[in-house]
Amino acid sequence: MICIYIYISLSLLASTGGISWHQRSSTTTRIPMMPRIPFSVIIKAQRENHLLPILLKECRTIDSARNELRWLRERAVRDSQSLSSKTGWRSRLRSMCQMRSRGYPLQYILGDQPFGHLEILCRRGVLIPRPETESYTYQAAKLVRQMARGCNDKSESPNQARPLRVIDLCTGTGCISLLLHALLAPHFQKLEIVAVDISPTALGLAQENLKHNLQMGQLASSAGTDIHFHCADVLRYGCNNSVPSIESILQIQLPNFGASDTSPPVQESGCDLLISNPPYISQTEFRNGTTARSVRRFEPKLALVPPHSGSGVEDCMPEDIFYHRILTLAFKLRAKLTVLECGDSHQASRVVALHNRLASTESGQFSAEVWPSRERDLAENGFHATDGSRCVIIQALQ
Amino acid sequence: MLVKSICRSILRPRLGLKLSPLRGLHTSKNWEASDSALSPALLTRARLLAAEHTKLAERLGESFDAKTAKRAGELAPVANILKEWVNANDSIVELNSLLTDPNTDAELRSLATEDLESSRDALPSISDRLKKALIPRHPFADLPCLLEIRPGAGGDEAGLFAFEMLRMYVAFCSRRGLRPTILKQDTEVGPSEDRLSEAVIEIQANGAYDILRTESGVHRVQRVPATETKGRTHTSAVSVMVLPSFPEDTSEMDNALNFEDPSSDYYIDPQEVRVEKMRAGGAGGQHVNKTESAIRLTHIPTNTVVSMQDERSQQANRRKAWQVLRAKLAEARQEAREQELMQLRRGILGGVAKMGRGDKIRTYNFGQSRCTDHRTGITIHNLDGILDGGDGLETVMDSVRTWMADSEVEAMVAEDMANAKSK
Repeated sequence: MICIYIYISLSLLASTGGISWHQRSSTTTRIPMMPRIPFSVIIKAQRENHLLPILLKECRTIDSARNELRWLRERAVRDSQSLSSKTGWRSRLRSMCQMRSRGYPLQYILGDQPFGHLEILCRRGVLIPRPETESYTYQAAKLVRQMARGCNDKSESPNQARPLRVIDLCTGTGCISLLLHALLAPHFQKLEIVAVDISPTALGLAQENLKHNLQMGQLASSAGTDIHFHCADVLRYGCNNSVPSIESILQIQLPNFGASDTSPPVQESGCDLLISNPPYISQTEFRNGTTARSVRRFEPKLALVPPHSGSGVEDCMPEDIFYHRILTLAFKLRAKLTVLECGDSHQASRVVALHNRLASTESGQFSAEVWPSRERDLAENGFHATDGSRCVIIQALQ
Repeated sequence: MLVKSICRSILRPRLGLKLSPLRGLHTSKNWEASDSALSPALLTRARLLAAEHTKLAERLGESFDAKTAKRAGELAPVANILKEWVNANDSIVELNSLLTDPNTDAELRSLATEDLESSRDALPSISDRLKKALIPRHPFADLPCLLEIRPGAGGDEAGLFAFEMLRMYVAFCSRRGLRPTILKQDTEVGPSEDRLSEAVIEIQANGAYDILRTESGVHRVQRVPATETKGRTHTSAVSVMVLPSFPEDTSEMDNALNFEDPSSDYYIDPQEVRVEKMRAGGAGGQHVNKTESAIRLTHIPTNTVVSMQDERSQQANRRKAWQVLRAKLAEARQEAREQELMQLRRGILGGVAKMGRGDKIRTYNFGQSRCTDHRTGITIHNLDGILDGGDGLETVMDSVRTWMADSEVEAMVAEDMANAKSK
């Protein structure tokens, strides 16, 4: 009986999960290898728990499968207690595991994902927050506090004239805005966060997340009035269709936005932090296996791959169009700090180059760097030395 | 001559314990009863502390100061019990003089005899309490604790028994209303889920450290394992470590235990800790959706490694890992300090029994359904009850606590006397 089971699960794993040896040796392009799970590991998993091999298909390592099984079990038991569903937790767990083995994201099954100390609700149609984004958000908050300290030392006026202004483009679940509020609220009396997304589904969930974390007591009550979610298209300039452009939103939100450079009260307009995790996956990377199956199948393409640009922007690669747009906005907003998540270090370097090109026609000095790049930053934040995501941090120098 | 005889009276029970470990508990009990008279060294110490208390109380009357109040609060029990002891002694002396006085009439005499008897009966318990009050409190006594269980020698069987011990302590804590939470539970790869490779329980109640510190050491199990086919009895070992758990909020703590204060003994320089998260190669960011959130801390000077992967949140894993790392380092430092103290005392006493974490402290024998603690020699014949965390375990732990207090007093007295001698 057990033998048959193992055989079935094994054949399943081999057929869908792994890539055959032939394919592996013949490919020279950057197709990530999904190494075949060793037979011994599958047997081990099978002996430990009959649900483990199912999870192993998606998790790939036994440690990870074990953790996921525990989290799923905890949730299944809790659900069956609270919902008084007809089915017991065991059958619930089984169906959860089967969903997971098809690549359905754990966060969509469980309905949430921790982000910092917040609990971010996750639902189909909205991108799941990634741990890298968490690191960038912490780093951004750290830099904002450093900047504020530097300013206060100079002007010796601890009382802010205007609120600290943060703009979060392509907010998705709202995770960045919410965590920034949690991190910055203890240090700034006045705080204003404008979060923008094109997807009404995302904005609905972001609102829910705000409420959810307020209820859980993870956010200060001021978050309810400090954070504003808006539906807007970051890429489009003019106002057509039903979705307003980002400019029209910012004009309402920020006084003096779009006024000419000669307008004196710089203090009044402008923003302190412009942060974004825009779609950045190229069409090729979306298809060639760089993007994981689970992401490709179940997460919204809208949040992952920038649309084909038909308008204007031609001096950058199609996957970088959001950066072009956001960098232009950053100059207009006189953003003191800009933090942009990128897919890998190559893209990050491209963004730095793009910034330098655009900055050459602007007044003012900037420093643009790829983060994390120092060994200690890499290790402490869980980044691989060469692979994986990076962000670009641009600071306006006074 | 007097000093010598006292010395002997103190050392005798220790020798007795060594000769017949199984009677150890009774020996120490007897000793407590027979040694109702306090050694001069202890008495001197008590008087010194009481004098300090009076002084502090006076100062508190003039102006309040949190630090003084705290110290006075610590000394109050000693001062009060000493007062009781002095009163009891005074009344005995008075009653004696009454009895020896030829002018006392018969009725009064019989009353005095009765009173004298009751006073004499009360005296040993008062002395006993005074002795206990004089024992310096363990620096971690008021803290919550972490209890770490790891299988030692014995392979699969050790892992199985480690799992049973985890259940035992969880049950024990729940029974005592201590609310245990499992911080970490790593099971070994094997046919069943009940083979532990490491577990850490957190017991958040204040003072949990003091309750559970009797459990640190190697626990031995003797039984025919479920995996044994030929019916042979195996002996395996599980090591238990009780670690202090420092509260997150350091503002309310006194300086000695504030791990964020560089002058504290338990301070950890963050520069000396290497933090590592999982570092997977390949694509990252939006391309993938990894659910691992493991974190590993390494204290470089001592090469202490703590890894945590149980929670979905990296933040939570990091917090827990720090908690365990702090606990481990604090315990190690405290242990080192005690070891140093022991070295000093050994010179005086010529060998004090000190159970380190490497010593075998208890045996669970399934064949005879008994549990024996090797420090006190106590044996309880209700093994199932003990493994359910029941009263039996409580009895064993109580006996160890008494034993610990006794050894502490012995060492203290010997030290004081050696000091007095050298003066």
